[in-house]
Amino acid sequence: MIPFRLVLQPGESIYEQVVYAAKRAMMSGQMRPGDPFPSVRALSKALKINPNTAHKVQQQLLAEGVLEMRPGVGAVVAKPPNGTRAERSQLLEEELERLVVEAKKMGLDVADVQKAVAQHWAKLNGGKS
Amino acid sequence: MSDAIETSGLRMRFGKHAAVDGLDLKISAGSVYALIGSNGAGKSTTLKVLTNIQKGYEGHAALLGVESRRVGAKELERVAYVSESQEMPEGMTVAELLAFWRPFYRRWDAAREKELLDLFRLPLDRKLKHLSRGMRMKAALASSLAYHPELIILDEPFTGLDPLVRDELVEALLDHASEATILISSHDLAEIESFASHVGFLEEGKLRFSEEMSGLSQRFREVEVTVDQADLPSALPKHWLLPQTASAVVRFVETQFDGAGLEAEVHSVFPSARHIETRPMPLRSIFVALAKAGREAA
Repeated sequence: MIPFRLVLQPGESIYEQVVYAAKRAMMSGQMRPGDPFPSVRALSKALKINPNTAHKVQQQLLAEGVLEMRPGVGAVVAKPPNGTRAERSQLLEEELERLVVEAKKMGLDVADVQKAVAQHWAKLNGGKS
Repeated sequence: MSDAIETSGLRMRFGKHAAVDGLDLKISAGSVYALIGSNGAGKSTTLKVLTNIQKGYEGHAALLGVESRRVGAKELERVAYVSESQEMPEGMTVAELLAFWRPFYRRWDAAREKELLDLFRLPLDRKLKHLSRGMRMKAALASSLAYHPELIILDEPFTGLDPLVRDELVEALLDHASEATILISSHDLAEIESFASHVGFLEEGKLRFSEEMSGLSQRFREVEVTVDQADLPSALPKHWLLPQTASAVVRFVETQFDGAGLEAEVHSVFPSARHIETRPMPLRSIFVALAKAGREAA
């Protein structure tokens, strides 16, 4: 098992999707500092992706400093993985873009969307905003 | 990197019909190459010519640097060929099949054989003729991967197999992807999309394109334009396939997507365009679009 969930969207860059999913898992605490990151082989098999792609993902995460190499263990999640609040909210950018596009197509304005988000938020919080 | 497979002007005729008709194909070592195309496009024939199973071709075809008509035991020791319609010694058990093949391959790896048997959970004492389709394919693959082939050629390996078996086959292949070149012909495009590094589209014995998977994904988009007047102009850009209209929507497949360029082009063709939406396409949709467009052009 690998410690993050990803349903690959066909047609979009696999490499970018995996990098994104991995970072998200680190920011949201699904992977903690010091946790081993899946090996190239494990990643390739779990997601059924080309080992070269898995290798590229690992290289990218190492280059960005979110992973670090530890002798004898391999790649582990680096400190500090939690990021600032701003960095964490940046991870929602894709979803936000999709929401805004759909809202605009339906002719809604920003206030409508904000209201809908607030309502949904309250619903998940059991009525409290 | 050198080429594991190379053909130029390759032609294979059966009577008057050319199943392979001037094929120029290059597959570099280390790639996972998906050969796609409709039934009868020439995929199986190409694979058989390359491995010298099908004789009598014209032009040039080479496997691991050796002209295909001269490919023999020495080369085939480094190659795995597994086909959906492969003939197998039906009366043998799985254990007998493995024992039969073992002495032919100097690089046969007993530890690897054991790993494959465990992964596939093959019943050693069962006769091949009593195996399910999935188990047969696994037996064929296990006996082909145990000798560390440099080149793995698979003809429609997933046909008629359930999703679990497909996953297991893909896992076994991925284990070999770093040490071998893999050439796979398949219609099961969802299975190969995530791990193929290259893809070639064969149509009527000719290669229509051959490129990196990531490049192909980037240049194809399904485009939907919302317009005030959905009349198709008589001349549309050639790189837009299968244009259709319904109500206030025009839909087509962009084959040369580059972001900003598309928007400008859409506005020049449809001055009344109000909204443009582009969607990435899975390999399956790309294949269907190309095959349909090919049929419409014919």
